[in-house]
Formats: sequence, structure tokens, C-alpha cells
Amino acid sequence: MMYSDMAYSVCDQLIPGRISAIFRKVLVANRGEIARRVMYTCHEMGIATVAVYSEADRKAIHVLKADQAVFLGGSDPSESYLNIDKVISAARQTGAEAIHPGYGFLAENPLFAERCESEGIVFIGPPSKVIRELGDKTVARRTVMGSGVPVIPGMNKPESDTRVLAGDAEKIGYPVLIKAAAGGGGKGMRVVTSPKDFQEACASATSEAKRAFGDGSIYLEKYLSRPRHVEFQIIADSRGNVIHLFERECSIQRRHQKIIEETPSTIMTPELRERMGKAAVTVAKASGYVNAGTVEFLVDQQGNFYFLEVNTRLQVEHPVTEMITSLDIVRIQLEVADGNPLPITQKDVRSRGHSIECRIYAEDPEKGFYPSPGRIICMEEPSGPGIRNDCGIYSGFQVPVEYDPILSKLIVYAEDRGQAIKRMIQALENYVILGVKTPVPFLIDVLKSEAFAKGDTYTDFIDTYFCGWKPDRREADAACAAFIIDELTRTVKPKPAVGMESTELSPWQTLGAWGR
Amino acid sequence: MDYRLKIDEEVIALQAEKKKDGSMVLSHAGRTFEIEYTMVSEYHQHLTIDGRPLNVFIAGDGNSKMVVIRGTPYYIADADAVENRSRGKKRDQVMPQEVTPPMPAVVVRILVSEGDEVKKGDSVIVVSSMKMESTLVAPADGRVKKINVAEGDKVMPGQILIDIDRDAAALPRE
Repeated sequence: MMYSDMAYSVCDQLIPGRISAIFRKVLVANRGEIARRVMYTCHEMGIATVAVYSEADRKAIHVLKADQAVFLGGSDPSESYLNIDKVISAARQTGAEAIHPGYGFLAENPLFAERCESEGIVFIGPPSKVIRELGDKTVARRTVMGSGVPVIPGMNKPESDTRVLAGDAEKIGYPVLIKAAAGGGGKGMRVVTSPKDFQEACASATSEAKRAFGDGSIYLEKYLSRPRHVEFQIIADSRGNVIHLFERECSIQRRHQKIIEETPSTIMTPELRERMGKAAVTVAKASGYVNAGTVEFLVDQQGNFYFLEVNTRLQVEHPVTEMITSLDIVRIQLEVADGNPLPITQKDVRSRGHSIECRIYAEDPEKGFYPSPGRIICMEEPSGPGIRNDCGIYSGFQVPVEYDPILSKLIVYAEDRGQAIKRMIQALENYVILGVKTPVPFLIDVLKSEAFAKGDTYTDFIDTYFCGWKPDRREADAACAAFIIDELTRTVKPKPAVGMESTELSPWQTLGAWGR
Repeated sequence: MDYRLKIDEEVIALQAEKKKDGSMVLSHAGRTFEIEYTMVSEYHQHLTIDGRPLNVFIAGDGNSKMVVIRGTPYYIADADAVENRSRGKKRDQVMPQEVTPPMPAVVVRILVSEGDEVKKGDSVIVVSSMKMESTLVAPADGRVKKINVAEGDKVMPGQILIDIDRDAAALPRE
């Protein structure tokens, strides 16, 4: 099935039977599982959806599910999902009144939000000014310090003079953490325990930051050892009402990327939650926040919390919050974006039970989580009580190499943490994906571990407990039996390679040259 | 029928005897299993092994397959078929003999020019796959003869990105 290169319309008006809603039509400027998830809520609300897609995503699920789809261009993000002109043009030509940016891509790009504002298109997120200010980590820190919320002891503005930096490091007290002012993800970060290593660490952090973000500015913070990474979901309307939707703990990370998230956090007490929730709301108000966002904190071993940063977007792990509060955050985002007040007050927000999310990437957990591209040969999603899978793939889909390799997010909800862990283990064991490698067996072992059961979830969890992990292969006999049975019963020609040995022919090589 | 299967790094010998449709006996390492099987689909088998039920998922070409049981993957190949492949290929798995990407990728940065002298292990080209960058290295001492790709090109495993003329002493033994 081929789509033409211009916008096509399945129906250029509201689908009969859908109730009339706030926006008539929303464009989702993203792809994969998040684009699909946003569209679910739009369709529930009777809002028509417009998908945008690149060459590699011609048959992607978000395109197949949308009411309209606009081809943007080449697979490289700069030619498609990151191309502001093309996305705006797609909204213009389809008459979309609002754009939901998802996460990543243009979601936290102040220029994009600004462009929407000037074109009269509603950007479903905070004002561009807020994105810009909170996007600069040192500006964000200054704003928060002014509001009285504790921040990690450190400097407020980027500095390039290493003598000044060294002096500040003495004031803060070693160990110190050097960070890039222009971005995150671990780039431009160095931990310095001793003054004699300081100069060299600054030089190397600066050059790494410059390569990653085009801006080598660095600043210093006190380094907390073994902190817990706890974030609060906030949502605000344009009338100054701000509420929080409790916390999420995202401490299980690999290469500074989260893979397991949960709520409630195992270190939370009602008193700490109250204080941190208030702090999150204070930060949001102080920065003039509107729409959904997340305030991140680090919590040290003594239970002190410190502001880290604000993520001015809907986050990947938002579903766990939805499960315990029974709220649809995207729905609230749409209502607020249309100028409506928040549909609930803080006292209306209730949390119940426990939720865990596992991110399912196309990666090989036995080879350092190396990307594992390929075609999905067959898949079976888990289902059952308390199971939700936000999925961006299907059997037969060719997973592109140009983008983040997230395939789906598997979320469970149960009455308490112990039950949620059991539920997630079952769900993972029942999740079948053939054609690419995934961290499913690794996640199963993490969830079965005593450390996880105890809630020992520090950011160094994987390095501490799962360094050099290999799966426990107990069913080797059964696997061999299956191999032999497959041989005996095979009547068709050999199937395409799974992609295990890199030099075997893959379906990609038979597709011919790609247009760019 | 005898089978020699390579499961991960180990080669094991098994005997399988098909009894009738949907039933067989498997022997390995002195143990015997009675197996009933149903082909649910091309990729899904329902097995009953000595009375214990198991859903098994399997995909792959004739010689190597990926079998998934309760979330855990097993990589199984016909050991005889693997050994019959050229010996050069087996060596590839230990140390790449060419400048070629391990998986489909996009060229990010070319670090050398034609005519440059390189030493074994020198970084020569950076490729990116799913936002993860990897640096490929020169497989031997030599001189960069020809750069076959440009930044932004999509490249495949097996494709030689940079031709390196090896120094005489560095030629691989056949």
C-alpha cells in the first residue's frame, strides 16, 4: 500500500458519530508509540488527527491510524521530524488548529513553539518563553533559587575562566560535578573528586559539550553520591492554577537513559511527598508554567531533596502517573491548551496502587545494549488485568535506524508494589518480539532481583548488580526441540534472516537504493 | 535422526525420533524427553515436554534460528552448516578484516583521507545506528587507498567503507 506524496484525506471533517470537541483537528509532530498514544485521546475526544511522516515511516503505525497523513521528506530527522517549516506547512495545508509535539524532536524547541505562536497555531505545551528559560539549566536554577526551593549547591551561571571555576569548586566543596549548560544526557559531565584533576576535567567537559550541543559552556554542582532520581508531574492552566500529580522514580538507568520507572517511589513518605509536591508547584508557578511538565529532583541519602531541572514536555514515562491517578494527562493537556481551566483541583487528585513501566528498545542486552535494527517478523503483546502496552510497532514493520529505538512501553498497574512486580514479570514473559533483540530477558532478571524487590534503586543499579549480565538459559533442551521440530515441519522456503549474524543478507539489501 | 546444534557457543549432540504427527522423542546427554507438539503458526509452537506445556516462538532461516521461551532468547544453529562456511568468515567474528559496519547505519564522520598511513586499531570512520555512534577501526597497518562512501550515506554490513592497502607484513594468513 503506497501513499502519495501529498496530504491525503480520509475524511476532511469530523467523523460522524464523534462528539464535537474543543479543537476540530490536531497535528501530532512526532512518530511511533507517542504519536499513536496522543491520537488515541484525540479520537476519544472527537478530534481529527493529522500524522506527519518521513520516508522510513511510510508504513508506520501512527500514519496508519491517523485521519490524515502528510509526508515530510527524507528519513533524516533534519529533513522531516525536526524540520519546522515542513511541520508548520503540514498544519497549514490540513487546517490543524493545534500541534502536539510529543517528546524529543521539537517538543522542547523554543523556536518551534514561537513559530506556532506567530502562525496562530496552538502549541500544546508551555509558552515559548518558558521553554527557553527553563531550557537553560543555569537560568532555571536561578529562577528556582529565587523561589526558595532547595537547589544543589553550585554555580548559577556558566563560566569559562578555569581559575574562577576552581575557586567556585573549593567553595562548593569536592566532589564536584561539571555539567554542560546547553544540554543533558550525560554529555559534558565529569565528576571531580580531587582539585588536581580539576583543570583537565574542565577542558575535556568543555570540548565534549561543544561537540554535542555546539556550546561548550559548563557550570559546577555539588556531586551527590548515590542519589535517588525522583520527579514530579505537574500540570498548569493559563489562569495560574497549578497542581502536581505525584512523583515517579526513574532510578534504573543505563547510559543516562531510563529503562524502568515506577510510582510511588519507594523512598517517599507522605510528609516528603507533601513537601516535594509543594516545591514542584512552586517551581512551576515561579517560571510561569502552563500545560504539562515534570520537575526533577535528586534526593540524597539523608532524605534531603534538591531541584535538578524542569522538563518542559510530556515525558516518556507519563503512563505510570495515569495508572495511579486514573487521569488522562494528554486529555488535560488538550483542554488546557484550548484555554480551559484545569478540570480538577489538588485535593481531587488521588493516588491508588502501584505502577511500573519498562521501556522496550530494539537493543541487545547481551552486547552492551547495542542497537538491534531489523524487521519485526512476529509479535505478541501481553494483555490481562492491569496491563497497558503503548506500542509503536507491528508484525512486518521495518524498524528504522534513524531514530531512537524505542519499540513500546510496557506498563502494569496493581494494588501494591509486590503485586506490580509479579504482574510485570508475567507480562514480560508473555511479550514476544521476533526479528529484533530487546532487553526483555534483562528486564525480567532485574525485576526478579532482590535488590529491586528491596527498592534499592539508585542510578548506579545496573552497574552495581547487573554488570556483564547474561540470561539464565534453562530451557536449552526445549529450544533445541523447537529447532528440530521447525526443521521437520518446514514446507516453505527459508525465511528471511533474523539479523543475528551481521553479515547475513537482510531484507534491507533487497529493497534497493533509498531516495533521500 | 542425529543433530549437532550450536547453542550460543556450545555444540551439543541430540537424537530426535519422530513417532507420528505431532509427537517425537528427543535424547540428549543421556536424558530422554517425550514431546508432543502443535504448530500454532509459522512462528509459534505449543510443546508438551514430558507432560509440561510450553509456548515457544521461533524465527530464522534454514541454518540459524532465534527461539524465544518465556522472554529468553536462544540462538541456535545447525553446527555442521556453520562449520562448512568459509573459514575466513569465522575469523571475522573475532576481528574484522575490513572496514564494514556491524549493522545497517548512517555515515557520520570520515576521519581519514586517501593516502593517509594508518596503524591497526586507528579510528577511521564513525557511523551511527539508532542514535548510537560507533567508531570503526583499521583492521591492519597500511595506507588508505580509497574512501567508498560520503557523510550521510546509508551503509550495510558487508559493504566495505574504506579500502586499506595493507603493509606486506600485515596481510592476513589464509
